[in-house]
Amino acid sequence: MPNEVLALEKVNLRVDEGELVAIVGGNGAGKTTLLKHMNGLLKPVTGTVRVKGKPTTESSVAELSKQIGLVFQNSDHQLFSESVKEEVAFGLRNFGFPPSEVEERVARALNAFGLGQMSDRAPLTLSGGEKKRLCIALVTAWDPIVLALDEPTVGQDHLNKVRLLELVRRLIRDKRTVLIVSHDLEFLWPLQPRTVVMSGGRIVADGPAASIFTNFELLESSGLRQPQLARLAVALESPSPFRDVDEAVAWLREKNGPWSSGSQTAFGKG
Amino acid sequence: MAKAIYEGLKFRYKTTVIHRLDPRVKMLLSIVLFALALLGFNFYQEIITFVLVAVPATLAKSLKRLMRVVALSITFGVFVVAINLLAGGTVVESIVLAVRFLEIVASTSLFFVTTSPDELEYVLRWFRMPRDFVFAFATSIRFVPVLLMDLTQIIDAQKSRGLELDRGGPIKRIRNLVPVLIPLIVNSLVRSGELAEAMESRGYGAVKKPTSMDVLRLKINDWAALSLIIPGGALLIWLYIYVI
Amino acid sequence: MEFNDFSFTYAGSTKPAASHVTFTVGEGDVAVLAGLSGSGKSTILRAINGLIPHIYPGEYSGSVKVEGMTVQETPTYELAKKVGFLFQNPENQIFMFTVERDIAFGLENMGYDPKVIREKTDWAMDLLGIRDLAKRSPSELSDGQKQRVAIAGSLVMDPTILVLDEPTSLLDPHTALEVVRLTKELNKRLGLTVILVEHRLELVSTIASKIIVVKDGSIWIQGTPQEVLLSDGLEEVGLSLPPVVEVQRKLGLKSGGIALDVEDFVKEVPRLWR
Repeated sequence: MPNEVLALEKVNLRVDEGELVAIVGGNGAGKTTLLKHMNGLLKPVTGTVRVKGKPTTESSVAELSKQIGLVFQNSDHQLFSESVKEEVAFGLRNFGFPPSEVEERVARALNAFGLGQMSDRAPLTLSGGEKKRLCIALVTAWDPIVLALDEPTVGQDHLNKVRLLELVRRLIRDKRTVLIVSHDLEFLWPLQPRTVVMSGGRIVADGPAASIFTNFELLESSGLRQPQLARLAVALESPSPFRDVDEAVAWLREKNGPWSSGSQTAFGKG
Repeated sequence: MAKAIYEGLKFRYKTTVIHRLDPRVKMLLSIVLFALALLGFNFYQEIITFVLVAVPATLAKSLKRLMRVVALSITFGVFVVAINLLAGGTVVESIVLAVRFLEIVASTSLFFVTTSPDELEYVLRWFRMPRDFVFAFATSIRFVPVLLMDLTQIIDAQKSRGLELDRGGPIKRIRNLVPVLIPLIVNSLVRSGELAEAMESRGYGAVKKPTSMDVLRLKINDWAALSLIIPGGALLIWLYIYVI
Repeated sequence: MEFNDFSFTYAGSTKPAASHVTFTVGEGDVAVLAGLSGSGKSTILRAINGLIPHIYPGEYSGSVKVEGMTVQETPTYELAKKVGFLFQNPENQIFMFTVERDIAFGLENMGYDPKVIREKTDWAMDLLGIRDLAKRSPSELSDGQKQRVAIAGSLVMDPTILVLDEPTSLLDPHTALEVVRLTKELNKRLGLTVILVEHRLELVSTIASKIIVVKDGSIWIQGTPQEVLLSDGLEEVGLSLPPVVEVQRKLGLKSGGIALDVEDFVKEVPRLWR
């Protein structure tokens, strides 16, 4: 589906309901361009993009956005209302929900994302992490079949990333279809998603996290940094990818008994 | 149409004879052409002015671009013709008026298309305009492409929330601009704050008379051009007023 | 550079943004300031080059000294000669239409002679490998290139200290690493003292000579990377520890030091296995 300056080329991708898919690549790989094709912001020049079987060329952006909820990278590009609840209501009203339903959905979304206390506050006074949560909350309010997050962790501090991780886990538990576009592999690693790697406008790999993230050359050539635990798992030739710190610790302990905690080896660059 | 105006005023880097002239000379050229366009009110004068605008434009390899700007301004030109006809003018008079307008557009465009924003800044400083003003002006121009990109991203984001900018009556359409304008304005304000920090961190205001890396100096080409423009322009202006 | 019991409350605010901050950074050090959003890191940085208190008024107590100058009493343009400041968003610190003119901005402000400006600008562009971008417009550049332009614009003033406020948070992984490496290289080549705010410790723990952890406006702990990464209570602060460090902490490795990156850890693992 090339654009004016071949931003995407021969992309073949299929996402099924309830899947969690990570789309990774460096800046300029075409990830955001791909996302914009999903809700019709961009229409394919050649090839087709179909949502639930229907080509996107047959619907407007508004119609498609109702089904495909995009959360853009920069929250400051969206917030404008007088209150947090008005902000959530905005999208719902655009999509034609009746007033009574709007109120109910706003309350539900805010509470689900821990923003209930702030419903009367001005969105512009929220912290960076809160704004990001609000942007995700307002998209879930209209229950799109797919939730697509564009670089949700950029500019967020560690605590907010931990919260975001929890948030994504909950979305998965709620059986939503979630797409995450990101170059932050450390963030994605614990989720162990199906991972699609993009580079130069093409899809260069598509597979489970365990095989993609352990492939150093693939990641490097696509402008990405391998997560430390994956690198560790490969270097130590562990049969299991270390999905989290505890898994790594457990394996290391099991493999070689008690560790010399009084070890005199001063290693590392102090 | 707005895009056409933007394109008509945007500098393109080229190395034609005209582009390489000192910006003050280019400014003088455009002012002379502008004056001729304003003064001309009969058929012959218009032809002369038209040729005089077309020649530097061609030398600047920008004739096509100028033509496009002019062509798109024709809608306004037609408007001018219509009003004048209604006010009781003749057809010829109306067309002359319209052509005048187009020449004014072309002569202004000529300057901006051949002069880089840097050069523009130098010219303003040479005119001894206050440094703060020139800096603010120059910085605003520098951020125009950035603002446009912000605008596109904001529009995309709001469209993805169901905002439809091309539907509804005039009142609805204006109201639909609010979700686009507010983020744009807020972002610009935040940006100004960051720029202010950066300015301060790089010593802005340290010295009453800041210097600059390049100094405007007239070269042979410039003197040659001036020797054509100044007497030629003066002569034509006199001719337009008293003779033809 | 030293902070002595520095406290600051922004005008109109009731809570201090920084309280009783005391630390020193020696010449040639690379100090990393880490902490959550809103913990006071930005405030501390801005107190180094004078933005606090000269642009941001408020209640100021304690002292900050840079190269022997007391920041509170020195105008920002004097400090600008010694302290280069790099902001998070590369776009919003580039003013001019061409790369070379933006780099020259600081020198023009100081009133240097045009020839000197030209020399120093060329030097800075060569140092950062961006000479070929001299006449380009900043809006056409990649993020990494923009950061280099911004760095050149600071270095051109011959500072002895370079302060960077989250320079990598908006960059992609490879560009982020490039900026970090570049910073270390400048530290080595020019002897620049570097103070860097970065909360992704795995990016900077190998280049830092000192880590200062900030929480709620005060210093939580400071020391060498080894000391800080082995200390208790780091989880409370909410810092992002490099996973390989977390693994070692959980394994109970304490004295003797820990490996700061995966390669080092892997090298040492066989030695520790009995």
